[in-house]
Amino acid sequence: MTPSRRDFLIGCGAGAAAWLLPGGLFTARSYAAEITPEKRRELADLALDAARKAGASYADIRINRYRSQIVTMRSQTDRATGKLNQVPTVADGETFGFGVRALAGGAWGFAASNVVTREEVLRAAKEAVGIAKANASLRREPVRLAPVPKYEDVYRTPIAKDPFDVPIGEKLDLLRRAGEEAKKVPGVFTANGFIAQRVEHRWFASTEGSRIEQHVYQIAPEMTTTAVEQGRKQKSRTYRPHSVTAGYEAVERADLLGNARRIGEEAVNHLKAPSVTAGKKDLVLLPTHLGLTIHESIGHSTELDRALGYEANYAGTSFLTTDKLGKFRVGSDIVNFNGDRTKKESLSTCGYDDDGVKTRQFPIIKSGIFVGYQTIRDQAHLIGQKESMGCCYADSYASVPFQRMPNVWLEPGKAATTLADLVSGVEDGVLIDGRGSYSIDHQRYNFQFGGDSFWEIKGGKVGQMIADVAYQSRTPDFWGACDGIGGEALWENVGLNADGKGQPPQINAMSHGCAPARFRQVNVLKTE
Amino acid sequence: MAWTRDEAKKLADKVLSYSKAPECEVWLEASRAGHTRFAANDVTTSGTADDMTIAVVSRGGGKSGTVRVNSTDPADLKTAVARSEEVMAAASVDPEWMEGLPSQKYPDIKGSHAATMKAGANERRGDVQAALDLARRKKLNASGFSENTTRWSALASKKGNFGFFTATTAGFSTTMRTEDGTGSGWAGLEAPNFAAIPGAELARRAAKKAEDSAKPRDLEAGRYTVILEPRAVNDLVENLVNALSQRAADEGRSFFSKPGGGNRVGEKVFPENVTIRSDPFDPRLAGRPWIGGAGGGFLGFGGFGAGNFAGLPTRKTTWVERGVVKNLSADRYWAKKSGIEPLPQSGAMVMEGGTGTVEDLIAGTERGLLVTRFWYIRSVNPQTVQLTGLTRDGVWLIEKGKVVAAVNNFRFNDSPVNLLKNIEAMSAAESTGDMVVPGIRARDFNFTSKSDAV
Repeated sequence: MTPSRRDFLIGCGAGAAAWLLPGGLFTARSYAAEITPEKRRELADLALDAARKAGASYADIRINRYRSQIVTMRSQTDRATGKLNQVPTVADGETFGFGVRALAGGAWGFAASNVVTREEVLRAAKEAVGIAKANASLRREPVRLAPVPKYEDVYRTPIAKDPFDVPIGEKLDLLRRAGEEAKKVPGVFTANGFIAQRVEHRWFASTEGSRIEQHVYQIAPEMTTTAVEQGRKQKSRTYRPHSVTAGYEAVERADLLGNARRIGEEAVNHLKAPSVTAGKKDLVLLPTHLGLTIHESIGHSTELDRALGYEANYAGTSFLTTDKLGKFRVGSDIVNFNGDRTKKESLSTCGYDDDGVKTRQFPIIKSGIFVGYQTIRDQAHLIGQKESMGCCYADSYASVPFQRMPNVWLEPGKAATTLADLVSGVEDGVLIDGRGSYSIDHQRYNFQFGGDSFWEIKGGKVGQMIADVAYQSRTPDFWGACDGIGGEALWENVGLNADGKGQPPQINAMSHGCAPARFRQVNVLKTE
Repeated sequence: MAWTRDEAKKLADKVLSYSKAPECEVWLEASRAGHTRFAANDVTTSGTADDMTIAVVSRGGGKSGTVRVNSTDPADLKTAVARSEEVMAAASVDPEWMEGLPSQKYPDIKGSHAATMKAGANERRGDVQAALDLARRKKLNASGFSENTTRWSALASKKGNFGFFTATTAGFSTTMRTEDGTGSGWAGLEAPNFAAIPGAELARRAAKKAEDSAKPRDLEAGRYTVILEPRAVNDLVENLVNALSQRAADEGRSFFSKPGGGNRVGEKVFPENVTIRSDPFDPRLAGRPWIGGAGGGFLGFGGFGAGNFAGLPTRKTTWVERGVVKNLSADRYWAKKSGIEPLPQSGAMVMEGGTGTVEDLIAGTERGLLVTRFWYIRSVNPQTVQLTGLTRDGVWLIEKGKVVAAVNNFRFNDSPVNLLKNIEAMSAAESTGDMVVPGIRARDFNFTSKSDAV
C-alpha cells in the first residue's frame, strides 16, 4: 500500500571505489538529548500522573529512539563511454521522541512530540486527555481494554554483530563487488544493491504499572539486476535474502556476492524467455514468492480490525467476518497458519507489543479452518475473548498504536516432502520464485499475483524459464487447492519490510515463514 | 514547533556554521499534524503529533553523506554535522555527483491557510459527527478520516541558497457500507484549506453511493465502455504521470522510450483532447516551491531521495499538449549529459477536461459502466503502463443514458495510455486533492475478472 515517509526499507541504489575505514565509524556519536533511565522514568511518571489528574482512566507513554542507516549502490554502464558507473548513496538517521495515549470519557486521545522535556510531556499528556474528552460524546459505548499483567522487563533482539558498528566502507565495498559481478553478465543493464538496517529502542510505561524496555534490530540486504529491451520490455531479478531481526551476521551469511552473477543471468534469460500459455495450471510456489501471497491473502484477511470495519475507509475489510470464526474453511486439511511474535529472527518478533502485552504464538488457521484473529487490547471483548493476542504496534513515537500484523507463518508439511516430490506430481505447471506485481481486492478475495521469475513444469520436471506469468484466484479457492507443502527442512523465514496500513498511514515489518507449496489448477494469465 | 522565516534561517545558519566540508546543505521541516478517525459508527483514534526533521548533507570531492536528526540542541546539531562528514568520508565517489546549487529563486506559492493551521479535535468534530449521525440514522456503517497538517520547511546551503515555505494540507474522506454488507460508497477530498472541504456533503455522497450500490446485479467481466469519475481517472492517470522521466525514456525503460533509441518528445502519442500539465500555483493542489524536503524522499532522508533534482525550483510545465509529448523531466546530471536544461517534475498535475458533469457523460452513454474509484493498482509492464487493479465503492450499469443497476466489482488489466486513446467525452476537470482531472467516458476498458468484494 502507500508507503509513508517513514519507510525504512525500500530499494534503489548505485557505486565506486570504496573506502574501508578501520574500526567503527561514528566516533562523534554522542547526543545531548540522550536521557538517563532515571530521567526517563521521571518523565513517564509525570506524564501518566498528569493524564490521570486530567481525567484519564488509562494512559501510557512510549519514549522511543530509532536509528536507521541505508547504504545503496547502483551499478550501470555509461552508454556513451562504456565505463561502469557505480553510484553510491549513504544516509544515517536518528529520531527521538515520545507519544502519550489516554482514555478519557471512554474515548482515546493521543499527543506526541520530538521535544522530550518535563514541560512538553506535561503539555502532551493534558492534550491527549483533552482530545479524548472532545471526542467522548461521539462514542456510543466506552472503549474497553482486555486485562494485562503488569510487567517490568527488558527485551533485546539477540545479535552477534551490531550493524551500526560495521564500517560504511565495508558495506559499500560488498555492494560494489556484487554489482561488478552481476555486471559481468552480458545484457545486464543495472545492478542495484542495498543494505538497510534499523534499531528501535522502545520504552513503554502505563498507568497499570508496566515499565518495558526493548531493543529491536532489523536488517535487510538486497540486490536486483535488470535487463532491458529498448522501448519494449524489461525484466528484473531480485536476490532478497530474508530480512530478519538480527545483527550484521545476517548480511554476512546472505552471500550477496555469490548470488550476483546468478541473478544477472536469470534477468537476461527472463528477458529472452517465451511467454507462458494462459490456462488452468498447477503451481509450485517457492517461499520467497509464497511469503507475499500469504501476507496478502491470509495475513490481512485475519486482522480483526479489518473484519470489524475499522479499516473500511482505507485498506478495506475482510471476507472473514466474525460469524465465520471457528467454522469457515479457508484451505485444505494440510493448511495450518500461526500468528506469532516470538519466532526467532522474524521481523515482527519482540518481547511485548505497544499495549504492553507479552507476545505469543496463536493459531489462525487449523487444518484449513479459520480459528483465530490478530487482536489488540481494545478489540478482544468485541469477539468475546478475554485477552489480546499482542498485535499492537506504532511505527514511531509520533504514531498512534493500533492493530498490526504479526508474523503469520505456514506450518511445514508433516512428511519430509522435498521440492522434487512437489514438482514430480505436476504434468503442466509453473514454478515461481520471488515477488512480482501483487494486487488484491479490499476484502481479500480476488487476487492477481505475478512473480520475479518463472520456470515451466512439464511431465513432473522443471524445464525452461518462461515469462509474463500472473495467476488469479479467490483466497479460499486458492488455499483449498493446496495439496502439497514441503517438509520442515525447506521452511524459510520470509521477511516483508514495509506493509502500509492505517490513516495516517504507518509502516510495519513482519515475516511469513513457509516451505514451498503446490496448488492445483489455478487460473494462469499471460500478462503481455 | 512553528518556525518563522527568520527562525528557520537562523537555525540553518547555525547548522552550516559547524560544517567543515566543501559543501553543506541543510533541510529543515517541522510539522504539526492532527487527525480524527472513525469506524464502525464510532470515533476510534484521534491525536496530534509535533515533529521535526533536520537533514544535513555534507558534500565534496564527488561524495556526499546524509544524516538526519530531530533535535535543535546545538550539541546535537554539531554532532549531526560531524557525523554527516564522516559518512561522506566513508562513501565512495559518485560518478553522477553534481556541484551544489547556487542561490535559487523559488516561486511564491500561497501554501498555508489559517483555518488548517488552527484546526484541532473540536474543529474536526463537526464533519465527523455529521458523518456518524447520518450513518446511524440511515442504518449504514460509517468509517472515515479527518486530518489537518501544517509543515514549515526550509533549505539552505553553504553556497548561499535559502528557501522557506509554510504549507497546510487537510482532508476528509468517508466510506459508508450498508448493514447487509452488499453496498459500499466512498467520497473524499483533500485541499490546502481545511475550510474548503465540505465534510457533511461528502458524507451524504458516500451514503447515497452505499445505498445505490446495494444488492448488485451479477455481471460478467469483459470489455466495456466506462464512465470514470474524477477519482478513478486520477487513480489511473497518476501512473502515467510517474513515467514522465527523460532518463527512463532515453534508457529504453519507459512508455516514452522510442523503439530503437531516444524518447518520444515531439510525438503525438495521445488524441487531440489530451493536455496534461503541472501547476504548482493551482490553489486547489498542494504545490511546493522546490523539489525534495527534509521529511520526504528515500527513507525520509530529505534531498537524498530527490537525487540531482533536489533543490530545483518548481514551475508550470506542460507535459502533453493536444496529444503531443512536449516535455519529460530531467535531473541536473541527465540534463548536463544530454545538453539540455534541467526540468523538475513539479507535481500539482492538471489534466484538462471538457464541459459539463459526470451526469452528462452518463446521459450520453448507450451502454457502459460507471466507476467510483480503483484500488490496489499495480504495474504489470512499465513499458506499456499496463496496470492491474480493482473497482471499489460503487459500479453501475448504464443503459440508454440511465443508471439501470448496481453491479459487482471487477478486476481490470489495462493501461491509462489506452484509456486516453479511447476517450469519447470528458466532463469539466475538478480537484481530487492529488490532481485536477475530468471524468472520462472511454470505450473498450478491459475488465478481466469479477470480484466478490464489496
